[in-house]
Amino acid sequence: MAETVLEAQRVTKIYRAGAIETVALSDVDLVVERGEFSALSGPSGSGKTTLLNLLGTLDRPTRGRVFVSGQDTTEMREAERAHLRLRKLGFVFQAYNLVPVLSALENVEFVLLLQGVPTAERHRRALAFLRELGLAELAEKRPNEMSGGQQQRVAVARAIASDPEIVLADEPTANLDSKTAEDLLDLMQRLNRERGVTFLFSTHDPRVMARARRVVRLVDGQIASEERRGE
Amino acid sequence: MRALLQIAWRNLWRGWRRSAVVLSALTVGLAACLVLVGWSHGWVRQMVDSAVSTKLALLAVHARGYQANPDVERTLGEGGRALVAAIERFPGAAASPRALGDGLVQSARESARVVLVGVLPEREARVSAVARSFVAGGFPEATPIGVGHGLPGVAIGAALAETLKVRLGDKVVLHAPGETGLGAFRISGIFRTQSQGFDKSQAFLHLEDAQRLLGAGDGVHEIAIALADPRELPALTAFALAELPRVRPDEPLEVLTWKEREPRLAAMLDLMASTAWIAYAMMFAGMAFGIANALLMSVYERIREFGVLRSLGLPARQLVWMVLIESLLLTLGGALLGLGLGVSAVWLMGRVGVDLAGFSGGLSQLGVGATVYPRLEALDLVSPLGLALGTALLAAIWPAWKAASLRPAEALRHV
Repeated sequence: MAETVLEAQRVTKIYRAGAIETVALSDVDLVVERGEFSALSGPSGSGKTTLLNLLGTLDRPTRGRVFVSGQDTTEMREAERAHLRLRKLGFVFQAYNLVPVLSALENVEFVLLLQGVPTAERHRRALAFLRELGLAELAEKRPNEMSGGQQQRVAVARAIASDPEIVLADEPTANLDSKTAEDLLDLMQRLNRERGVTFLFSTHDPRVMARARRVVRLVDGQIASEERRGE
Repeated sequence: MRALLQIAWRNLWRGWRRSAVVLSALTVGLAACLVLVGWSHGWVRQMVDSAVSTKLALLAVHARGYQANPDVERTLGEGGRALVAAIERFPGAAASPRALGDGLVQSARESARVVLVGVLPEREARVSAVARSFVAGGFPEATPIGVGHGLPGVAIGAALAETLKVRLGDKVVLHAPGETGLGAFRISGIFRTQSQGFDKSQAFLHLEDAQRLLGAGDGVHEIAIALADPRELPALTAFALAELPRVRPDEPLEVLTWKEREPRLAAMLDLMASTAWIAYAMMFAGMAFGIANALLMSVYERIREFGVLRSLGLPARQLVWMVLIESLLLTLGGALLGLGLGVSAVWLMGRVGVDLAGFSGGLSQLGVGATVYPRLEALDLVSPLGLALGTALLAAIWPAWKAASLRPAEALRHV
């Protein structure tokens, strides 16, 4: 039986703005296992990003529980959650979100630095990741000197550099043109296949859904359907 | 910590215009403060130096009770010679006996109240700046008794000479209380010190003439003491208190520093130190708002970025440090530049002097010359650095707390 990486148990998220309550997620159960290449799909406002944020411990559920590698994160203090993210989770964002004042290499190194990896080792590993992803020539460039596709590839390198249990990618192709999006998906698929990196996307991009081996469809904050496919 | 320092440093450069504005404001503000403080120190110090080098002396010895009640009969016997000799055993000390008393000086046209100061010119020249301040003539020499043609001399200040409408060589009459207190004198010298008040109120006679006029016998009222190195004053005071009673066991004495004789002047020096602190505190309090504003703006612009850092696993504590470091770099940078600029400006003005000829009338009444030489004390430089540090932390608290208190998801949604 495959190992569970992430689990949401009856997770509900309600946003409150004054007297107005908006239910973003309602009693969602989800299990993500090691090695998956899965997508959360659904229209805008269906709760994809909210669920991804809760699974990634970036937010706290109103009700329900979230487990990361079997650890219940619900009652954890913020510092413990930060530590968990650092060790177990990788993130790729729609807007790339590299640290603007750091070069590509430094962006990748940053996570290793937070993990306490010694300087020389950190440098070697970060450079190796960039090389593996075909980004060696961008090592010294800052984000504003790179294209969107290049930035997103560096963001993927940063996400996997810490050797996480899972990479959570929020609409990773939304800002990319078709060719660049396909290249990025090729890259992530290769990492999934060759290095066994687990990926969970939130997306409404058909190209991503076409490549995912499991698509969980959300509608109005609830899981409406789930589809599993072979490779 | 090195990485946070690096990021903070680069962030400052990223918003270089904003950083430059804050830095410039800090630099100019602090430099202006230093000039102001240096200025105050300069003129108060000049005022003290002027008073100490003319009227007060660093240390003075009197018959006990003279300070409280300067009675002309309260004298030190034998011209204070034994005391002078004892004092001068202290390395670098010079002593001058003075006979003092109130009097009246009268010219053909005017009269004025004065303090009569009897001195031995060669001794007085070693303790007082008056000897170096003569614009005409000098201290009066001793008058040989029985020589009919020569009148004894008196030296007065330029301001008093103007009042009396007399010049060098003119005749004046001096009155002092007592049976022998009247005599004709000739102006032997006119001096101009930095203090107009002093120049208007003092008349220097030869010690023997003064003793005769005041009816003091061979007594003196004060032994004025100067030191080659004024920082030795506490040691000299201790020496005098221990040694002098041994020399004159039967003569009750008082040994007083200039601060004890003129506590108001001493208080002004202390007040200046507090004024410096108040000036700095006000400047930095104002700057704290500017820095906080700049930081807050830069934090608001980067909330999304902070969300990313937090989602990567950066602990909130380290995020706080990052913002604090930015503030520290900015504030300390401004403080160092401001210190550099301010110290250079004060140094330059202290060398050249600031000529206030236009206001010199008013200043010389305070005992300050027409040219003020600003100066800074070591503490003037330490306190702004300490305050800069405090300001940096104070200004960064709110922005740093704001940055750290956001949930990552919330920060990532920030537009």
